[in-house]
Amino acid sequence: MDRDIKISIRNLYKIFGPTPDVALEYVKQGMGKAELLEKHQHVLGLQDINVDMREGHVTVIMGLSGSGKSTLIRHLNRLIEPTGGEIAVDGENVLAFDEDQLRNLRRERMSMVFQKFALLPHKTVLENAGMALSVRGHKIEEFEAEAKKWIARVGLEGNEYQYPHQLSGGMQQRVGIARALASNSPIMLMDEAFSALDPLIRSDMQDLLLELQDELHKTIVFITHDLDESLKLADHLVILKEGYIVQQGEPQEILMHPNDPYIVNFISDINRARVLRVRSIMKKTTEAPDNVAGDIGERDNLESVIARSGGDTSLTYRVVRKGKQVGVLEVQDLFKALVPTESPEGDTRSHY
Amino acid sequence: MATYDFLFSSLGLTEWCAEGKSDAPMSMAALLNKSKGTEAEQSLWDVPFPSMDALNDSCAAFPQSRELTQGLEQGFLAVKDNLSVVLDPITQPLSWALDGTLYGMITTPWWIVIPILLAVVLLVTKSWKLVGFVAGSLCLLAFIDYYVYAMQTLAIIFVCAFICVLLGVPIGIAMSRNNMMQRLTIPVLDMLQTLPPFVYLIPLIFLFSVTESKLYGIAIILYAIVPVIRMTNLGIRLVDPDVIEAANAFGMTSRQKLYKVQIPLALPNIMAGVNQTIMMSLAMVVIASLVSAPGLGVLVLQGIRNLELGVGLVAGLGIVILAVILDRVTKASLARINASQKQ
Repeated sequence: MDRDIKISIRNLYKIFGPTPDVALEYVKQGMGKAELLEKHQHVLGLQDINVDMREGHVTVIMGLSGSGKSTLIRHLNRLIEPTGGEIAVDGENVLAFDEDQLRNLRRERMSMVFQKFALLPHKTVLENAGMALSVRGHKIEEFEAEAKKWIARVGLEGNEYQYPHQLSGGMQQRVGIARALASNSPIMLMDEAFSALDPLIRSDMQDLLLELQDELHKTIVFITHDLDESLKLADHLVILKEGYIVQQGEPQEILMHPNDPYIVNFISDINRARVLRVRSIMKKTTEAPDNVAGDIGERDNLESVIARSGGDTSLTYRVVRKGKQVGVLEVQDLFKALVPTESPEGDTRSHY
Repeated sequence: MATYDFLFSSLGLTEWCAEGKSDAPMSMAALLNKSKGTEAEQSLWDVPFPSMDALNDSCAAFPQSRELTQGLEQGFLAVKDNLSVVLDPITQPLSWALDGTLYGMITTPWWIVIPILLAVVLLVTKSWKLVGFVAGSLCLLAFIDYYVYAMQTLAIIFVCAFICVLLGVPIGIAMSRNNMMQRLTIPVLDMLQTLPPFVYLIPLIFLFSVTESKLYGIAIILYAIVPVIRMTNLGIRLVDPDVIEAANAFGMTSRQKLYKVQIPLALPNIMAGVNQTIMMSLAMVVIASLVSAPGLGVLVLQGIRNLELGVGLVAGLGIVILAVILDRVTKASLARINASQKQ
């Protein structure tokens, strides 16, 4: 196993119903979700999930409601027990943990941010932010400084002694993030953390998360139903549908090479120029090209390159990372990359 | 000839019936028939329900219904002594608490007791308006020389409501954590709530002597404990599951969850239960004056017994004043808790 793989999920199954073990056998023999529900009254929640989450990366699990994404994230800290499969964190099998080890995992190594914030309404912002530390048995005097530091870091300085109901939704979720950060755990689980916020605040919060991530390099597992959000945040994108993984990989890669009409359908709506980055369409070469029109960064999105070229398709740009050339981008190729991917059946919208 | 003779003869029990002929007391109907001297032919219209008494008419060995109630009474009397051996020591602290509090509140001079009560009101409600109202009401009661009675009633309510909370909250918590416990407890609570208050007194009079204060203490507690149990159970079950999930995700132990999340968040409901418990103690303390509970209830009773209309009415009014005071004060403190917990 790779050393930098933080969380590894192998053959994970979850079946809801009175006798999930029996139902698991049927599923392993190839029974589908609809048939299982009809014949055995069991709901297939997750089906053969295999994901490796790298240390310091943001793994986004995307799917529509009912796709099992919230169920999946709750398996990582065993808020939900799996029916079959393995989950390893730092190479240790989480499913073999006894109660103390599990509590330790939840206290020290994983923190969680919730869609509905789930703050303690009778505690101040400060006490909420320090919840993880107080759970470990620290007194408020001991964690006050640490909690205040993180409250300030998420931009809530001066709100320490207010109660959650006095804050707006966006501010409450900042407290939720401060609470997760203050636990100082290497892994952060974010369950639709920004879904309940309005679009402008959501975008602010995404920026805040990316900014924090640049600094802290946590292993983040992020659940969302929003494709734009997942493309913005993800280092590794996992797309779930009805409990199984449709496709996973680098988000740019999925965007360029979707392998399922379901995904094609998903991505047909987005502004490709804004989401695609230079890195994913450039030619990798260190040879300096002729007629360089200028230098661009590998993380720049295509929209900014188009703006810079002024629509002139004959130009060629040098792609640089930290002052060194890593590739070359011809604006002509850029426009080819913007051609929408067609689904195999032709019209991408018709069958949904 | 009685209606159901055929039943016993067809079952071949005639001999067994004849054995019991001698000692059974005569039923009322049989007595009437005998005095009339005739045994009238019965029409279909008059067929009695095959009750114990009707069957006894046909078969003397069959028990009469009065033997059922007598049997219950005798059974109770038989276990009474043994039950007392167990119950007496357990409930003795209740007597001490009641007697002590009564003694304390009455022997302490009024110019100490009233300020202390007012200070408590201020502490739990933080409202000077309410303090003024309580001061006015207490002074009014004292002015018409009902001070001692009112203090006795208050003392009993304080002790009983305190014990209700002391026992009721843990029972409620246990119910909220265990569905089996809930299923077993709810019928008992239903029974306690629907049993007419006077019925509590009957077995208690047999078990304890009327001079002991725990007699009415137990009656009040049994009657008033129900709401606090119910509301604690309900309150904890209603705690936002998202918050509970967050508590789990951060690795709280179940004890931490109980004290840091569930009880604080259930507090508004628990306090609503306490309010109800206090009001029900007040209702019962009046009835309990039948079994020597001191206080305003005694005056009401005196009003009924001696037809002293004025005494009864004024005492009733005093009870209303106490009820309003207790209700307002507990509601105000409840509102304060609610305000700090808005979600």
